[in-house]
Formats: sequence, C-alpha cells, structure tokens
Amino acid sequence: MENRIVAENMAQLFQRAAEQYGDLPAFATRIKELEWEPVSFRQLYERGLNLATGLIDLGVKANDHVGLFGDNRFEWILSDCGIQLCGAADVPRGRDVTDAELIYIINHAEIKIAFAETAQLANRIINLKKELPTLKKIILHEESDSKAKNVLNITEVEEIGKKLRDKGDVQAESRMKAINPEDLFTLIYTSGTTGKPKGVMLSHENIMSQMKVIPIELNCTDRVLSILPVWHIFERVFEVYTIACGVCTYYTSIRTLGDDLKNVEPTFMGSAPRLWESLHQRILKRVKEAHPMRRLLFHTAYFLSKQYKSSLYFMFNRKLKTEKESSLLRIVQLPFHALRWLVVTPFYGFFNVAVLEPIRLSAGGSLKATVSGGGALPNEIDRFFNYIGIPVLEGYGMTETSPVIAVRTEYQLVIGTVGPIVEETEVRIVDLETGDTLYPDRSHPENGRGIRGEIHVKGPQVMQGYYKEKELTSNTIRNGWLRTGDLGMITFNNCLKILGRSKSTIVLLSGENLEPEPIEMRLTQSTLVEHCMVVGQDKKFIGALIVPDLGELRAKGIKAETLAEASESEEAQKLIRAEIKKVISPSNGFKRHELIQEFELLPETFKNGVELTSLFKMKRHIIQDKYADRIEAMYTNESTGGK
Amino acid sequence: MEFTTQLLYPIDQILLALMIFSIMFGMGASLTIDDFKTVMRYPRGILIGFLSQFGLMPFFAYGLAIFLNLPPAYAIAIILIGCLPGGTTSNMFAYFARGSVALSIAMTTASTVMALLMMPILLEFYTSEFTNALSAELQTAGTGTEFVIPTGNIISSLILVLVPVAMGMFLRAKSQVWAKTAEDTAGFMGIIVIIYLIGTAFARHSGLMLQTPINIYIAAICVGLLGFLFGFWMSRLFKLSPIFQRAISLETGIQNGPIAFAIILLSFAEPIQSQMLWLAILYSTFIVITSSFITLYYRRVGKFDYEIYKNTTIHNKLFGDEYVSHYPDGFLPKRIEHDPSQGFTPSQIREKK
Repeated sequence: MENRIVAENMAQLFQRAAEQYGDLPAFATRIKELEWEPVSFRQLYERGLNLATGLIDLGVKANDHVGLFGDNRFEWILSDCGIQLCGAADVPRGRDVTDAELIYIINHAEIKIAFAETAQLANRIINLKKELPTLKKIILHEESDSKAKNVLNITEVEEIGKKLRDKGDVQAESRMKAINPEDLFTLIYTSGTTGKPKGVMLSHENIMSQMKVIPIELNCTDRVLSILPVWHIFERVFEVYTIACGVCTYYTSIRTLGDDLKNVEPTFMGSAPRLWESLHQRILKRVKEAHPMRRLLFHTAYFLSKQYKSSLYFMFNRKLKTEKESSLLRIVQLPFHALRWLVVTPFYGFFNVAVLEPIRLSAGGSLKATVSGGGALPNEIDRFFNYIGIPVLEGYGMTETSPVIAVRTEYQLVIGTVGPIVEETEVRIVDLETGDTLYPDRSHPENGRGIRGEIHVKGPQVMQGYYKEKELTSNTIRNGWLRTGDLGMITFNNCLKILGRSKSTIVLLSGENLEPEPIEMRLTQSTLVEHCMVVGQDKKFIGALIVPDLGELRAKGIKAETLAEASESEEAQKLIRAEIKKVISPSNGFKRHELIQEFELLPETFKNGVELTSLFKMKRHIIQDKYADRIEAMYTNESTGGK
Repeated sequence: MEFTTQLLYPIDQILLALMIFSIMFGMGASLTIDDFKTVMRYPRGILIGFLSQFGLMPFFAYGLAIFLNLPPAYAIAIILIGCLPGGTTSNMFAYFARGSVALSIAMTTASTVMALLMMPILLEFYTSEFTNALSAELQTAGTGTEFVIPTGNIISSLILVLVPVAMGMFLRAKSQVWAKTAEDTAGFMGIIVIIYLIGTAFARHSGLMLQTPINIYIAAICVGLLGFLFGFWMSRLFKLSPIFQRAISLETGIQNGPIAFAIILLSFAEPIQSQMLWLAILYSTFIVITSSFITLYYRRVGKFDYEIYKNTTIHNKLFGDEYVSHYPDGFLPKRIEHDPSQGFTPSQIREKK
C-alpha cells in the first residue's frame, strides 16, 4: 500500500508525517535487548517544534548554520528536526571528528550554536574556545548535570521553547512557511580522501528529489535498522525516506547488531560493503565447520541456485553486458537456458526452502532488500548474496549528489553494475583527455555504450556548490554537469558500471595505466589479507602494502602475537607471497602489468578515522605518507623485485 | 486396472521403509516438548483444525470415492489418505505461505497423537461398503476369504512409525545442530526416494501411468485441493485470523504420506496392496506440486496482513505488552481491521474492540 508523503522541504515533511502517521513509532532506542523506547511521529514533531522555538530564542536565525556533532541516536534526529523547523541548516559530523576538523568546520561555516552528543565532546570544543570566535553555545544530547558555562541540555532548550509556545509563540511555524526549496537543509563537510574538508551545500529540493529514487517501497509495517553513521548522506537519505514512508527506525550498534537483527527483524537497511564482507566470511566459516552432510546440502543448494539464477538473468536480460551481444547467439542460447531453468526449478525450490532460508534468517530474515553504498561491493560477495536470495541493491552516488545517481532495482538487478540511472537524472561518459562526450553520442556505435570514461551527472540532486569555494565549485560543476571523478561505462542493458576513481589511476613508468581497486578488492577477499593498498605511480612495477589477518596467520601455524611480529616473520611473507601469486594471476584475468611484484607487510592495521574514512574507504595519500619509507624500500630492493 | 506384477520389488520396499524411517525421524527432530505446550495456547485454532482434519478430509475422501465411482481398493486407499494426520512438510509450507508455523506444528503434533484413536474409527465408519464390495469380489474370484480392515495392524503400524519420531525428539533434546541436519537430510532423502519410486514404477510398468484411469488421477489430485479449499473457508467462517486460515488450510490438505506407506505395507496384503500403494504414490507426488502453487498464492495474497501482524508483534515484543500500534485510518484493510488477532497482547485486543 503506497502512502509515501510528498513534501517541498524537510520541515513540511516532519509536519505531514506527524499528521499522517500520528502515534506510530518513528524512532526506537535500545535500552535492553528486549526493551526499546519508541518515539512517535507526533511526539517527534511536537518536541521538534519546542526545540525550534528554543533555538530561535537562543538566537538562531533562518538559514543559519547549526553544528550537529554526534552519532546515531534519537536526539540526533530530534536536533535535526528542530534545526529544520526553525529554517536553519545543520552541519553534521560524527563524534570521531578531530580537533583540527572542528576548528576548520566551525569557523568556515560560522557556527554560533552547536549540538554535541557527549559532555566529553563538549569539553573538547570548549578547550578549543580561543580558536572558535563565532561559537556561542553548545547543546548536549546526553543529559548532564555538571556543565560548563554556555552548555545546555537538549531538554532544557525544549523546555524554553515549550514555555514560549504555551504563551502562544508561533515563530517556528512562520519560519517553516518561509523556507524556499533552494534553501540549504544541510552543509556536509567531506574530508574526502584528499585535501582540506569541503562544505557540500545541499538544498531541500536536493534531498526531496531523492524520495522518488529509492528502489524499494516501504510502508508503516516496515522496520529499518540504522547502523551506518547518520551524518553521512547515504544513511541520512534513508532516515528521511523512512519518515516519508511512516517506517520506524531502530538504532543499533556494531556491538549489538547480531542480537538486534534477530529481534527487530528489519525489512530494510542501508549497508556498506564491509558489512557484507564480514557476513560472507561468517557464513562461509559456519559452513566450513558444519557437519559434512550439511556442507554437502549447502553446496548443492548454492550450485542449484547459481544455475537457476544465471538462466533467469539470461532470459530476462539481466546479465552484465559490457560488450555488444549478437542477437543470433542469444536466440541460439535462449532455449538452452529455458530448459535448464525448467529442470532446475523444482530442485532449487526444495533447497531454497530447506537450506538457504535458514541462512537468510541468520542475516535478518525479513529483509526485503538492502542498498549497499559507500564503496564498491566485491563481485564475488555480490553474487554470493544474490544467489542465496538476499537481494543486495548496489547503488552509486556521492555526497555532492545527495547521494543517489544510479541504483539497482528489483527488476534491473544486474550483478557487476550499480543499476540504471535514476529518474530525472542524466549521465554522460566523458573522455578524460579530450573532454569529448562519449555517451550518449550517436557517432559512436550503440550511442557510446561500453566505452569507458569519466562520469558526469546532471539532475535535481546535484548540490548547490561547495560553501565559500567558488573556484572549486565552478571546476566541479559546469553548466549544471557535475564531474564525479569516477570512471565508468554504460552497459548494453543500460546500467552504469563503475571502473574506479579517475584520480587513483596508477600510471607506471612504462606509461601503462591501471586501476588499483579491482586488484585490492580481489586480494582482500583472501582470508589472509585484511587490508591492502596497491602502489606504483611512476614506478617500474606495482607493489602492495598489506595488513595480514593475524588470526588467520596463526591458524596457519605462524607464531606471532602482534602484527608487528607477523610482518617480520619469514613464513608469513612466504604464505602471503604464495597467496598473491595464486590470486592475482593471469588466469584470474589480470594483465601482466597488473601483477604484484613486491609487497610489504605492515606492522599495524588501518584504523577507522585515521587511515580509513568512516565508510572504510582508504585515505590513499595518508597511507602513502605514513609508509613512504616502506614503499621506497620495495622499489630500492631491486634484487627481490620482479621475481 | 490390474497389477500383473508387484508394484514394488523387495529392494524398493526396503528403500521405502528407510525413507519412512528417516522422514519420521526428521519429523521428530523438528519437534520439541514446547510444541506440545503450544497446543494449549491455540485451543480454538486446534479445535477447528481438528474438525477440518478429521471431519472434513475423510468425508471428502469418501465423497470422492463415491462420486468418481472408484474401485474398492482405491476407494479404501483414498479414505485412508483422508484420515491421516498432518506431516512436517505442512509446517514448511505454512512458513512460506506466511501462515502461523506455531499452529501448524501444534496441529501436526496433536493430529499425530489423535490419529491413534481417530484413524481406526474413521476407517471403520467410511470404508464398510467398500470392504463388503471387496469381499464379494474376492468370493466370486474364488479365493473365498472375507476382507476386513486390519484395525489392529493399523494401530500397531501407527505406533511403529511413532518410534522414529520419538528417537528424533530425543536427538533434538540432545543436540539442536544434529537435529537440524537430520531434518534436512530426511527432506532431501524423501524427495530422492519419491523420484526413484516414480521413476522405477514408470520404467518397469511402462504402461502404468497411461493405464491408470482418469478418475484415479482426479481423486489423487482433488483430495488435497478440497482440503486446502475447505480448510481455508471453514477457518474463515469461524473468523480465525488470516495467518491461522492459511496454516489450517495447508495442514488439512497436506497429509503425512509416509504413514500411509507404512500402514499399507504393514497392514494390507495383495491383491490390493499394490493398488493402494500406487494411489499413495500419486497423492504424494501431486500434493507437492499443488501445495507449492497454493503456497505461492497464499504468499502473495497474505503479504500485507502478515506484515501488519509481524510488525505489531515486534512492537509488543520490544515496546512492552501494553503498547498499542495505531495505524493511520484506512491503512488496515476492512477484513482485518477489527481482527483481534492482529494484535497479540491483551492491550491490543482491548484497543481494537
């Protein structure tokens, strides 16, 4: 039953949700395993109005920037609601924000009032006071009794607003009416993988355009589990979407995810590749340890499902098509696939029911689908989950496009792509060197499908620009076309395939180009490798920095207590070398210049927020700087190179 | 149609016995003591289920036998099938049809126990005219014996098949992992053996499928379909919630095939054994196909009410028993708007009234 709310801006969305969904739960907070506290749509809106009035009283003007530093919890969305209802925009960032980032963001965005999740974070901000001339007040999410000057609890601000509203204050209501579609609803600073933070300006219009493109329909009977950082646009857009659909969002954490999946039985969730990787390994491990009979049952089920699905994909034109397919060949193959499908179906039916369903249950049994974003999903893992029957809808987007550009839908689930371009959005594939449009262009065969180039995008989701960065904005957006900096191509069944970052392309001394991502992705699928980064710009050959999986090394009999010890171990070196040779080989489709010749084992792992972004993407320049000497060592030690 | 040779060779009989054993063992492995307690929690559902399983089904089987004018051996076989308790397959189908699995399991459990009492009574009641016809037939053929339903044998074969069930339950109590493996293996073996039996029957008696008169096929297919249809409408008439309707419908139509094989093999002799077996094989084959389609259908029509039910139950689980889910006006379809079972706890029921 479709009853999605259409609104012009965020404030209107909160208001209409309160009218339409009333007492249904909107957000739920975990207190104990089986004790959660719900907040209804009406309560959220009422409290939001109080908070907004309180914020106005504290001096927040329309279109002001209000800091919002914290992680997923109900008070976060309440703060967001309050900020939207008083016509301001929020500047969100997680609790792991560094001092340098705080100083840069607060000054750059001229933040006067900021929310902070914990007293500890508030104290950090207060200690930086000298460098933060604009900041006047801090509002805490968690209740605290002993507070510094100019620090308030969120409930205190609500109380101020409530008193004013009881006396007939309607400032918040009039602020709401004055919101324009092009006004900012958020200003998100992306640390990106290079350079200083950039403030991405997203308008109400931008975010509302996204409500049409999310590939799954939800209603009041659905449940969403929130695990990714909400200040990131990818999770944020789902939170907004759940409000529009009347869905209850349950806040979980890494620590309790397993239990919460079981108890909440979410029907939908936003997820990152990392989550699927760990789930994949967990399932495989369980299968490995199981009784031989069960293992046999699983492998039979997986095999049948693979046969069933690949014939189905063939028949319904959902195969990855990077090259033009001869229609004659298709006609010849069609009866074969139809026959195989017919024969396999009854057996698949039984095994799907008896063997695959319990596995799906372990991943949260009610999941209708999940959207994966914030990084590429390794092909093998992608296929695995689709074959066992959890449709993973991989999407593609960036903060600058609030965020969705393309996403797979239930009916266009082409594995290996990020699906078709979303409605009202145009995409061009542009030649990196000449700047010519390759797709869509009639002068190329098939309108330019199957040619790789940089992805440019135009549509209602494209940001207003980078805050106070005119030059950068005009470099990034030209005539409405945003340069994504990603490489891709349009497949022959009109899906977008991502081929790596144009900026991370490695050019070897010989002039040969290569994308590090596919190699890294392949290598990290090995249980021995936790992280790896491929290097080799302007060098003779490529090398890799590798963080091995300590547990797995020890399971293979290597005596090492720490990663540092392991990196010294000759046996570990040998083991990893063999693994690289096996995995990154011409028989696995790698070209000669893509073969890793040399590697270094790193003495410590990549940490979230240091070497990795909050969505587990590697910050290449940081890693490169940190291990510059080790990278150099790989290339000076010519005697071992090239073996 | 006459069977000139035996339908099953000794090797097949051993295989069949093995299959019965492993399936019943698997059934036991899926049951716990709690399932028996569940029976007490759904007295209304169980009672209506009981009426439709031991009231409707045997009656329809008898009706089909009369209406289609089946030969006595087939008539007795179809009535026997009609009187059987439910099997574990129905639990799996109920799960996928978005029906109440707990009720399905409870019904399977209750009917298996009740079968010890009900089957002999029902068989005696419905088959008398056919056994008379059979005796007359045997007399004219000159064998001179009188045919009677071997009630004692039926009860002892029922008890015999309950032995592996008990063993399965014992395993379940000891190790859940092993029990799960046993359950799946049993399901897998069941499929293989059914396919093998049909295959060999077809190969050895190549004409058998063609020779079988159409009315026997109709009987084998319709007995299950009638069970689905009337199980559904009867529970709907009694205003049970949709998830119960679907569970009772499937539980009524899907009978415990392996018990039928066991009883036929252990209690009946030639010349009617082969004929009865053939009908049981046909029933077991077609029921898998028909219930798959019915399940797919239920799964589609039941999607919405099941999601509401699920969401409401989870609200109560996480927010407390007193929590009431207020869906927007017009969101709930008329059919379930005032259905107390959509809420599980007293507070939701009070609120709806």
